[in-house]
Amino acid sequence: MSAEETRSKGFSRRSLMTATAGGALVAGSGLGASLLSGGVVSKAHAASAKLNFEPGELDPYYGFWSSGQSGELRILGFPSMRELMRVPVFNRCSATGWGQTNESLKVLTEGLTEETKAFLAAKGMKTYDNGDLHHPHMSFTDGTYDGRYLFMNDKANTRVARIRCDVMKCDKIIEIPNANDIHGMRPQKYPRTGYIFANGEHEAPLVNDGTILDDPSQYVNIFTAIDGDEMKVAWQVIVSGNLDNTDCDYQGKYAFSSSYNSEMGMNLTDMTANEMDHVVVFNLKSIEEGVAAGDVQMLNGVPVIDGRKGQNKKYTRYIPIPNSPHGVNTAPDKKHIMVAGKLSPTVSIIDVTKVDALFDDDADPRSCIVGEPELGLGPLHTAFDGKGFAYTTLFLDSQIVKWDIDKAIRASAGEEVDPIVSKVDVHYQPGHNSTSMGETLEADGAWLISMNKFSKDRFLNVGPLKPENEQIIDISTDEMKVVHDGPTFAEPHDSVIVRADIVNPVNVWSRTDPMFADAVAQAKADGVDLEGDDVVIVDGDKVRVYMTSVAPQFGLEKFTVKQGQEVTVYVTNLDDVDDVTHGFCISNYGIAMEVAPQATASITFTADRPGVHWFYCQWFCHALHMEMRGRMLVEPRAA
Amino acid sequence: MTMTVRTISVLLGTMLLAGSALAADIRVEPGPDALVRAVDLARPGDRLLLADGVYRGGLVLTRPIEIDGGGKAQVIGAGVGSVITIDARDVVLHGLVLTGSGSSHQTIDSGVQMTRNATRAIVRDSRIEGNLYGVDIHGAADALVENNTIIGRDDRLMNRRGNGVYVWNAPGATVSGNRVRQGRDGIFVNTSKNNSFTDNRFEDLRFAIHYMNADDGEVSGNVSIGNHLGYAIMFSKRVTLSDNISLDDRDHGIMLNYANNAVIEGNAVVGGGEKCLFVYNANKNLIKGNRIEGCEIGIHFTGGSADNEISGNAFVGNRTQIKFVSTKDHVWSGNYWSDHAAYDVNGDGIADQAFRPNDAMDQVLWTQPSAKLLLGSPAIQLVRWAQSEFPALLPGGIVDDRPLMKQHELPETARNWKASLQ
Repeated sequence: MSAEETRSKGFSRRSLMTATAGGALVAGSGLGASLLSGGVVSKAHAASAKLNFEPGELDPYYGFWSSGQSGELRILGFPSMRELMRVPVFNRCSATGWGQTNESLKVLTEGLTEETKAFLAAKGMKTYDNGDLHHPHMSFTDGTYDGRYLFMNDKANTRVARIRCDVMKCDKIIEIPNANDIHGMRPQKYPRTGYIFANGEHEAPLVNDGTILDDPSQYVNIFTAIDGDEMKVAWQVIVSGNLDNTDCDYQGKYAFSSSYNSEMGMNLTDMTANEMDHVVVFNLKSIEEGVAAGDVQMLNGVPVIDGRKGQNKKYTRYIPIPNSPHGVNTAPDKKHIMVAGKLSPTVSIIDVTKVDALFDDDADPRSCIVGEPELGLGPLHTAFDGKGFAYTTLFLDSQIVKWDIDKAIRASAGEEVDPIVSKVDVHYQPGHNSTSMGETLEADGAWLISMNKFSKDRFLNVGPLKPENEQIIDISTDEMKVVHDGPTFAEPHDSVIVRADIVNPVNVWSRTDPMFADAVAQAKADGVDLEGDDVVIVDGDKVRVYMTSVAPQFGLEKFTVKQGQEVTVYVTNLDDVDDVTHGFCISNYGIAMEVAPQATASITFTADRPGVHWFYCQWFCHALHMEMRGRMLVEPRAA
Repeated sequence: MTMTVRTISVLLGTMLLAGSALAADIRVEPGPDALVRAVDLARPGDRLLLADGVYRGGLVLTRPIEIDGGGKAQVIGAGVGSVITIDARDVVLHGLVLTGSGSSHQTIDSGVQMTRNATRAIVRDSRIEGNLYGVDIHGAADALVENNTIIGRDDRLMNRRGNGVYVWNAPGATVSGNRVRQGRDGIFVNTSKNNSFTDNRFEDLRFAIHYMNADDGEVSGNVSIGNHLGYAIMFSKRVTLSDNISLDDRDHGIMLNYANNAVIEGNAVVGGGEKCLFVYNANKNLIKGNRIEGCEIGIHFTGGSADNEISGNAFVGNRTQIKFVSTKDHVWSGNYWSDHAAYDVNGDGIADQAFRPNDAMDQVLWTQPSAKLLLGSPAIQLVRWAQSEFPALLPGGIVDDRPLMKQHELPETARNWKASLQ
């Protein structure tokens, strides 16, 4: 009997497999399946830390997830993997009006260079509407998360953004001048954030105005330190080779960036020519002194220091690493930095206490490598449990390897010990991984997530475009256990898993929040009380419509404007009950935004289309939500 | 062509016979700078015939010449860089003993390093020993490394060693008939194409042959014994791997990882460690007529591998014949399974019952390893019972609908795998 025939017989094996593999407790279509799912899965989970939560139960961790080319940040309850929120950042969001409201446009445009603004204006755009958000990281104080901010990169359009964790909205986005395509990004861990370190991945002329084109010998890459409080570039460093991922120490002295293109090749072949590439070490104090001493060129308002090889300064050092290294991860032992070899099956262990000698005594750059264990094929990223073990994703082997850091170092010193504790298959081909609190001094060793790049046959088929697959692994014992499969849409790269007590957002906005300070100022200038007045102010060709919203009514049941006028609608949500968010959507005008409790949001458009146009609340708010609407009457232009 | 014979005696500092513009055979006697001088003075097409003895390495060949060491001339590097660097087309090295390279991975210190200018370079019949890398074909198209003994270092950890032959961006390069021991990988080919690796023997290495991003290769007649892994074909298209032997390789005999449109035919993988054959996200491959014997796992087939034809193989005495992780069905027709107890009543060589390698619980365990905790539980007993009572409950996954009663004959090299142990 063929497999096809087997399938066509009564019992479906798929029902058996899915009921079991997914960990779902829904019974399959047969006796065996229902007993199996009820018996096996729940007991298996009961034997380890708790994964499944009853309705209404809260997760012990926040998960902050990137979304890659979707350009947003996602918030999950972890480990239940219940998606809680999507925070628009670099993307245009239909639901919240991000990219259309005046408040979001201010965030999206104020940090762009004048040159970029002009470039976009010529295309009729105010800002980019795509982004490629790879790496979300929380701000630190004394080596652990402090709940103030999340920072994240945009590889697509060379930006770095910040989210305020009190309101979970993006409040700053800056374009990084002189650099190209920010990839690796991490906040300073100690004494606090402090700096945000950002790697420009792609090579280009320092002044990229077309004067130099196909002459790669004049291309450079730029490492950037951003002041995370001010969200301004503090300084930049020109490096040799490109820059991939980055992390920093727990002492506040150094940052480390991997480079897979030390060759400065312009095609795949040339990028793979070298057997050894490198990690660049940035000496923060020396660079600060160099900047203060004026050993810089000022470019687009930023001091740029030359840290290339052969400069014979104390700004940088280059540690040879095999072979196209990728992930850089600092262990919570405060001492070791793991650099994953990608095309080498090894992870190179840097001892940060041996890095001083590279700068002070010009020691051999490899002298700070204290171990280089062979872990498996395609090592990309390493996570930690705070108990002396490391967990590295093996892209080619499609496994996570758990290994003992101390044994790896002893083995490299010649001792006969095997650092590998265990390996577990993941499905399929992992990129980043994260452990609970694993990037801080409070790594707790409970959970690991493996962010796999392919799901292949792991879920119901949804056509040629398939979800990624994220798997949760219980790392509380030596034998790692895969306990959950989770499909995701394009395309989380990295995540941080933060203990829930650290993150304490508000439920309603403060009326003095800077997010809508411009609206408050304009209302004041117009003599309007945002929390009480519902009025229309005509100011030449401009019309400002102020209205409040209290479920289930807007403050204005109608307003009238003239065709061609520039209209700004300010909606202030006076509801102060948790979760009573309103929306404001003008039908057939392409206008929509979210107005959370006690917030003011505004949107500006030209009333080009005459006639009767209903505006309505598109965020469900009340039993009479459908009735929460009003008319915009647009008088036709005189013929 | 008239060949003139010139002899250089560097010790005397005189040239006994002035050369013509034509290519010549030049005899070189040992001496501190003998070879360096001879190389400096050689003209394109000249052949340097080295007398027995020791010569100083660190040479860079910038003209198309031949150096023939007669099998005994030793060229010894000073522990820096490569012993001989070929930086010109059509250079031939023959019968040399090459030692004493440097130890830098950054400069890929080698017995012989061929640059992008070294088109058609040939290294043959030489003993290349104790260098960080044996031969580095670094961009040299159509190079040939033939019939050499390449012995790497064992004085450092495996991953700090170099490869026997390192092939980067060298379309058409051929590595044939070499004996490679004690380095990292026997042959590591990265970002190249149209390479041919034939009739080599690999021992005491990490991988015998390691492919990364190298399309259209031929790998045949090779023998891998006791390495960590035999043949790793990764992220490459249209590689033909035929008539090779993997004996006692520790992790996998053959690994296909995003190897697509490959032909894996007539290989003998015997007595390996973990997995004889590891097929991971590998698609549209023909895996045919191989002998897969004596591993913990005969074939581990996963990663969403699809559209592979797997037929005519013999799976002999592997502890687990197939480990299969997928939710799809696959039909592998016409393989021999040593654990398939079936009759062939009509004598057509095909067993009367289909072969199903794995039961439902294997699949459950491989997809959800945590279920292992409950192996003895009543639920699992029930599934096993139900499966035996109702065949439709069989997970299928992989089924061989025409299992063979006898094994196929292997091709010439693979057939003699037992002899390889000598």
